[in-house]
Amino acid sequence: MSNKLVLAAGAVAAALIIALAVVIVLVVGGGGDKNSQASASGSKAPTASSSSKASSGGLRVRSTDPLVLDPAIAQDADSAQYIVEIYSGLVRLGSDLKVQPDLAQGWDISADGKTYTFRLNPNAAFQDGRPVTAGDVKYSWERALNPDTGSVTAENFLGDIVGAKDVSRGNARTISGVKVIDDATLQVTIDAPKSYFLYKMTYPNAFVVDQKQITANPKKWTLKPNGSGPYKLDSWRLGDQLTLVANDNFYLGAPKLKTITFQLSGGSSLSTYKDGSIDVSGIGVDDLASVQDPSSSLNKEYRTASNASVDYIGFNTNVPPFDDPKVRQAFAMSVDRKKIGSVVLKGAVPVATGLLPPGIPGYTPDDKTYAFDPARAKQLLGQSRYAGNMPKITLAETGAGGTVGDYTQAIVQSWKENLGIDVQVQQAESGTFFQDIDQGRYQMFHLGWIMDYPDPEDILDVLFYSKSKQNSTQYNNPAIDAQLAAARVEQDANKRTQEYQAIEKAILQDAPWMPMYFSTQYALVKPYVQGYELPPMVIERYRNVTVNRP
Amino acid sequence: MQGLAGYVVRRLLFLPLVLLVVSFAAFYITRWGPGDPISVYSGQYRDPEAFARVRHRYGLDQPIIEQYGIWLKNITLHGDFGVSFQYRDRTIPEIIGPKIWVSARLGVYAFILTFLIGIPVGIFAAVKQGTWLDPFLISVFLFFQSIPVLVSVPVLVLLLTVKLQLLPPGGFDGLFSLSMVIPTLALGLPGIAGVARLARAMTLGALHEDFVRTARAKGLDEYTVITRHVARNAVAPVMTTVIGLSLVGLIEGALITETLLGIPGIGAFIYQSVTARDYNVILTVVLLLAFAFVLANLAVDLVLVAIDPRVRLVDDGRGGR
Repeated sequence: MSNKLVLAAGAVAAALIIALAVVIVLVVGGGGDKNSQASASGSKAPTASSSSKASSGGLRVRSTDPLVLDPAIAQDADSAQYIVEIYSGLVRLGSDLKVQPDLAQGWDISADGKTYTFRLNPNAAFQDGRPVTAGDVKYSWERALNPDTGSVTAENFLGDIVGAKDVSRGNARTISGVKVIDDATLQVTIDAPKSYFLYKMTYPNAFVVDQKQITANPKKWTLKPNGSGPYKLDSWRLGDQLTLVANDNFYLGAPKLKTITFQLSGGSSLSTYKDGSIDVSGIGVDDLASVQDPSSSLNKEYRTASNASVDYIGFNTNVPPFDDPKVRQAFAMSVDRKKIGSVVLKGAVPVATGLLPPGIPGYTPDDKTYAFDPARAKQLLGQSRYAGNMPKITLAETGAGGTVGDYTQAIVQSWKENLGIDVQVQQAESGTFFQDIDQGRYQMFHLGWIMDYPDPEDILDVLFYSKSKQNSTQYNNPAIDAQLAAARVEQDANKRTQEYQAIEKAILQDAPWMPMYFSTQYALVKPYVQGYELPPMVIERYRNVTVNRP
Repeated sequence: MQGLAGYVVRRLLFLPLVLLVVSFAAFYITRWGPGDPISVYSGQYRDPEAFARVRHRYGLDQPIIEQYGIWLKNITLHGDFGVSFQYRDRTIPEIIGPKIWVSARLGVYAFILTFLIGIPVGIFAAVKQGTWLDPFLISVFLFFQSIPVLVSVPVLVLLLTVKLQLLPPGGFDGLFSLSMVIPTLALGLPGIAGVARLARAMTLGALHEDFVRTARAKGLDEYTVITRHVARNAVAPVMTTVIGLSLVGLIEGALITETLLGIPGIGAFIYQSVTARDYNVILTVVLLLAFAFVLANLAVDLVLVAIDPRVRLVDDGRGGR
């Protein structure tokens, strides 16, 4: 009996283990067995494919997976870097951050600055050859705004168009302010003469998608999108590799660079660059010094450029003690940002000179922030409402609740040394952090702002206008509000920039922020790669790159 | 035979119930925490009104019990695990498949290390019972067992990459690279003590069996007696018991190890998904783990029956042994 039972139990156990394996394969591989198999066997693939691609002159870079390839939904740089290559919009940003024609070859703006008439490029076409018409643009915008699409940002970027908010809030299906005059002409009316409207049109949410394809394949179309950009999505294995191939029928000319391979599997970028299996690499802060050393063999391949982004400490101007501007000013004056920058950040990033980062109209290199002045800071603190009865203060930042970074530590230490105030650091993981930001729960927080389009409005108006939804410091200054409203619709570009510069200075005086540094990008680019730029924002940039790998 | 089949069927009948309870608990707990996937996904872009609209679009504004009903219906009727807010173009099985593959391989590496060291050490300790070597060896590995991976990973990195410069600094260069050494050590070392102790106990038991006395009486040398007769009887139960029961421990360890070392496995992804409030991904992985755990336990029970006829199948209605 026991022998039989032994055999039977063993058999059943084996069967169970097999069943378990089968179920896991089914669940995991069911939806896309090709994909998971490819990835499973593809762990060795990058090296294999990179050697085979070496002769074809493609570019190999290391990057991260896109979160979403639907331009209507995307709002992060990881996704946008692919979207700007695969799709296109009426206008684009050049590497000088100026608006350039794209699907639209030209446009007229009415005298009142509110009506834009776009003339489409007669060659404009989707990658499958179908011409892009004014109707396609209208469809794409209405789709982006439609609540069913689920885009958080579409209303922000398209909401200046008359009637757009009716669509995003589910009260209308069509945008009343968008008129298709004929296949090649689109008339757009906006709610006020905002000169930054064209900038907003360069954002992925305003890009054109193929209605036919989306209707035919509403769930999976982004895996083979029929965009109108210079590159087609050839393949994308999650966490492994994404390949773009040139759209040789691109209406602005066939791309010189034929393939771009993005390696997505993580790992040490620098060592992969050194062994020659990628052509472009980012550099971590720790490796920076070795690369910057002129005697380093990599130094000639080292490049740096600014990012249109600023890192800051925000003070909640609604809660004690930061509802008193004197306290904010004292805090802003008591941190030696230059020293922290050179010691902690190893001089990797320039200290912020104001709110507007380099590359944005209105940026100037002269320092408009409060200079380091501990004596004056102490004096201001003494004059403040909270002199002698300072409440407990907490600085919030995102983090896993582990050790506080050296950078934050140095800031907090400065306040202790120069003001005698102990500031607690509270790390919250992003889910909690952002919810508390939304509800104005923090006294102060550490955050960064990455510009979405190169106009001062995208930081000054968006973050400091009292009624802006994104005004996380709860800053409310009627004088500034009035100036912001005026600058928003100022038609004279120079005058407008000057107005924003004045606003920037006034806001800095009030100190709702202590701007810390402007972030910077660092890259290594192999000498045989030509035409590779490091633009300060995510823009279409691979078309004119050439790779002459030896 | 009748008894065995009935036992297996009864145990398997518990599976849906277990999954139902586990899924509801996970569903409720994930939605109970602060924040939501829309808010986290939006990063620096804060627009609570827009968040509310998108939440509505995905039904996240419904009462939790209704959301659960919809989720259950989609999963059972359509095999639809829902949308991942991290990678919206992909289905959840497509997303987690490759990551489970990476973790499974890492797990296999760790198991191999555990057994390769644990079983010989256990047998050796048993043979040396009564000498100082026995408690010493076991203590050494108990020491490794008592270090949490949160500590052992940074120490291993410091030792092997920074000080000795034997290995590349962190990262993941594929399953067949040096970058797998540290995670394998971190996950494999703590398990050795358990395996060694079990192997030691089994060996001690086997040493006093009649067949060992017979083998010795035949005049076989001690080495052959231990390797051929004792080890064979000691190893099998150790393997099955440990494989089944350390499944969960391994996943827990992988969560931290993978996150710390940047290995794109399911452990790191679960952590990332919790941070992103990617409800549907969390649920799918939790379900898969519950499923694997129930089946692995059952398999262990059956193998033990197969190996040792003295273990009887007693169904006490609790689904356990």
